[in-house]
Amino acid sequence: MTATTVLAVRTSPHAHSTRSVEKIMANVVFALLPICGYAIWLFGISTLALLLATTAAALGTEQMFCRASGKGSTIGDFSAVITGLLLGLTLPPGLPLWMGALGAFIAVGPGKMVFGGLGFNVFNPALVGRAFLQAAFPVAITTYTSAKAVGRFTEFVPSTLAWPFMKAAPITEWVARTKVDGFTGATPLMLQKFDHVTTEPWSMFLGERAGSAGETAPWLILLCGLYLIIRGMMSWRVPAAMLLSSVVLAQAFHMADAARYPGPLFVLFSGGLMLGAMFMATDPVGQPVTPRGMWIYGILMGTLTVAIRFLGGLAEGVMYAILLGNALSPLIDNLTQPKTYGERRKAVA
Amino acid sequence: MLRDKQPVTITADTHPFLNGLWKQNPVFVMVLGMCPTLAITNSVKNAISMGLATTFVMVASYGMISAIRKLIPKQVRIATFIAIIACGVTVVDFLVKAISIPVYQALGAYIPLIVSNCLTLERAEAYAGKQPVVKSMLDGLGMGLGFALALTCLGMVREVLGAGTFLGFPVFGSRFEPWVLFLLPPGGFISLAMWLLFFAWRKERAAKLAAAEATQ
Amino acid sequence: MSSQIIPGPGGTGPGAASPHAPSAANSIRMVRLLGTVSLMCGLLIVVTNLATKDRIQSNQETITRESVAELLPGISKQVTYGVEPSGELKVLTGATGEGKKFFAGYDGSGKLVGVVIEAGERGYADVISALYSYSPATQTIIGFKVVDMRETPGLGDRIKSDIPFLANFKNLDAKVENGKEVHNITTVKHGTKKNAWEIDAISGATISSRAVGRMLHKSVEDVTPVILKNLDRIERGN
Repeated sequence: MTATTVLAVRTSPHAHSTRSVEKIMANVVFALLPICGYAIWLFGISTLALLLATTAAALGTEQMFCRASGKGSTIGDFSAVITGLLLGLTLPPGLPLWMGALGAFIAVGPGKMVFGGLGFNVFNPALVGRAFLQAAFPVAITTYTSAKAVGRFTEFVPSTLAWPFMKAAPITEWVARTKVDGFTGATPLMLQKFDHVTTEPWSMFLGERAGSAGETAPWLILLCGLYLIIRGMMSWRVPAAMLLSSVVLAQAFHMADAARYPGPLFVLFSGGLMLGAMFMATDPVGQPVTPRGMWIYGILMGTLTVAIRFLGGLAEGVMYAILLGNALSPLIDNLTQPKTYGERRKAVA
Repeated sequence: MLRDKQPVTITADTHPFLNGLWKQNPVFVMVLGMCPTLAITNSVKNAISMGLATTFVMVASYGMISAIRKLIPKQVRIATFIAIIACGVTVVDFLVKAISIPVYQALGAYIPLIVSNCLTLERAEAYAGKQPVVKSMLDGLGMGLGFALALTCLGMVREVLGAGTFLGFPVFGSRFEPWVLFLLPPGGFISLAMWLLFFAWRKERAAKLAAAEATQ
Repeated sequence: MSSQIIPGPGGTGPGAASPHAPSAANSIRMVRLLGTVSLMCGLLIVVTNLATKDRIQSNQETITRESVAELLPGISKQVTYGVEPSGELKVLTGATGEGKKFFAGYDGSGKLVGVVIEAGERGYADVISALYSYSPATQTIIGFKVVDMRETPGLGDRIKSDIPFLANFKNLDAKVENGKEVHNITTVKHGTKKNAWEIDAISGATISSRAVGRMLHKSVEDVTPVILKNLDRIERGN
C-alpha cells in the first residue's frame, strides 16, 4: 500500500501554539470582568441587571440563529458573551433593560450572524448594537445617572425597569434624590461640549464620574488591556496608534484655541476612548492584519474621534470612529500588503 | 437573486393586472423604483399617496404611449416616453396640490421625481410600447397598485415602529417609546431588507414544499 | 395607417424599421412626432393648470386662514397686509403671494386682537417656516406655530409639538425701540430661562430651538416697527 502523505499547504505562520479562538475569547472575558465589577460598584444593581440582560440576549440570539441556520451551536466560543458584556459597558447605567436586550439582538443578529457568524462580520457587533440604539432612542441613550448614588445597591434606577417597548420613567427626580455632593448626572464630555465646564483629567482617570457603565475608569481599562497585550492575545499597535494620534491632534487643537478645545489628557480620559481603543478597535475580525495597516487604522480612528468630538454636533465620537475604521480596514489591508520576496519596487527607496 | 429565478418576461398565462400587483411586484420582485420606496415611506399616508400618484401617472401615460406606439420611430422612443410621462407627472403635481396641500408638502420633491422613477420608464419600454391600449393600461394599473402596496407595507413598519401610530392613530398607547431610527433614512433600508427577507423565505419554503410533494 | 409609416413585422415594436442611418425624411418624421407629442402634452398641462389654479389658491388661503385663527383664538375677521419695499403698508386681497406680509385679526366688535407674522430661519435640516402671533398693545409674542420643516423626527421636530417649549411663546417679551429690540430674544439652555425675553430650549433639540430664537429675533426687528408705526391704520382695518 502506498503511503499517502497529506500535505497541508498554507500560508505562514507555520508555527502553532495551542491557543485557540475559544481560549483567547475566554481571556478577553476574564479581562472584562474587573471592568464590569467596577461598573457595578459605581452604578449599582441597575448596571448588573443591564449587563445580565445584554449578555443573556446576545447568547439567546446566537443560539436562535444557529438553530435556524441548521448549523451547530457556536455559543461556546465566548464571542457572544464578549459582545453582550461590551455592549452593556457602553450603555448608560440606567438604560431600560429591554433596550439593552434589543441592542444585543441587533448586535449579534444583523451585526454578526447574518454575515455568517464569528470571523465574517464587517463591524464590531457590540458597536453595531449601540449604533442602532443611539439612532433609535436618542434621548434614552444620552440620559446618564450620577456615579456612587445613594442606595444604588438596594434600588433600581426608575428607568431600568420600563416595560418592554414602553417609555422609561423620568429619572431627574431620582438623580436629584440619590446623588452625592460633587457628583453630577452629566458626563464630562457633555459638560465640556454644552456647558463649557472642563473636568479635571486626574479625577477622570480615577473613574468616579458619570458616563456609560464601563467607560469611566481609564486606569482599570488600561490594566485589563495590558493583561491581554502581555499575554500576546491582542495587538498593542492599534490602541497605541489610536490613543497617541488622538492626544497629538487634541494637543494641536488645544494650542490653537485653549479656551474652546480641552487638552489632550481630557480627551484621553473622557468618554469611551480608552474602552474603545483597548477592547473594540482591537477586535481581531475588524482590524487590518499587517502591522503597518494597524498603525494606519489606529491613527485614522484616533483622528476621527477627536474630529467628531471637537468639530461635530455630537459629544462623543469613538463609536462612529471605530465603525468607520472597521469599514475601511479591508482597504487598508489591501494597500499595505507586504511585497512578495524578490518582487521589485518601482522606485528605489 | 430573486430576479435570477424569475425572469422579467410576460407570460401568456398571467393577467397583466395581477402580474404587476403580485407576481412581478415592482418593489419586492423586480426591485425597481428604490428612491421613492426608501424616501417616502416614513408614514402610511405618504406611502399610499405616493403609490396612487405613481399609479395615476402610469395608467394615463401608458394609455397614451400604447395608443401611438406604432407611430413612434425607434430612435426617439425613449424621448417620447419621457415627454408623455413628464406630462402626466406635471398634471398629478397640480392635482395633488388641488386636493390637499399638506399631502403635497409631505411628498414635496418626490412627485416631480416620479418621472425619473425607473419603474415608469421600464414598463413603458417593456410593455406599453408593444402592447395594445387596454392591456397596457391594465399593466400600468397593476404595477402602480403593486408599487403602492409595497410602499404601504414599508410605510406600515416604519410608522408603527417609528411613531407608534398607524395612519395617525396610536397603536400601542401613549407610553410607547418610538424607534426614531425607523423614521430616518436608515429605517427605510432596514424595513425594505426585512420585507425582502420575508418574501425570500416564503418563496424558499414554497419551493421546498413543492419539492417534497413531487418526491412523494 | 401605421404600417404605412413604420414598416415592421406586424407592428410588434416601435420602429422595427431599418438598421440603416435615418434618412432626411425619417428625421423630419421624428421631429414632427416629437413636436406633436410635446404640443399635446403642453396643452394638457395648461388645461390642468387652468382647471386647478383657483382650487390650489383657495387651498393655500384656507390653510393660512386656519393657522391665523388658531394663533389668535376668538377672531372673526382677518385682514392681510403686505409690506412694500418702501415700508408702506398695502391691504392684500388674497392670503398668498410673495413678499413680506402679516395678518391682522379682529374680534366680533372689530377690535384688533393681534397680528400674525410669517417668519423663516435655517434649522438643522432645512428652513423652518413658522407663523407667530404678536400683540402690538403689549409688544409681546403670544403664540407660535411651525408651518413647514424637515427637522429630525423625534428630536428637532418637537419644536412643533413640545408643550413646555410652546409655553415659551405665551408671553414672550418683544419690545422694540428705534428699530432694535430692547432685549434680544435668545434661546437659553433647557431649564435656565430667567427673563421674559428668553426661550427655554428643548433638551436634546438645541439646534432647532436656537433656530426658532434667531428667527423670532430677526423677524421682530424686521416687521414689528412697521406695525407699530401704522398701528392706527391697522386698528381701523383698512
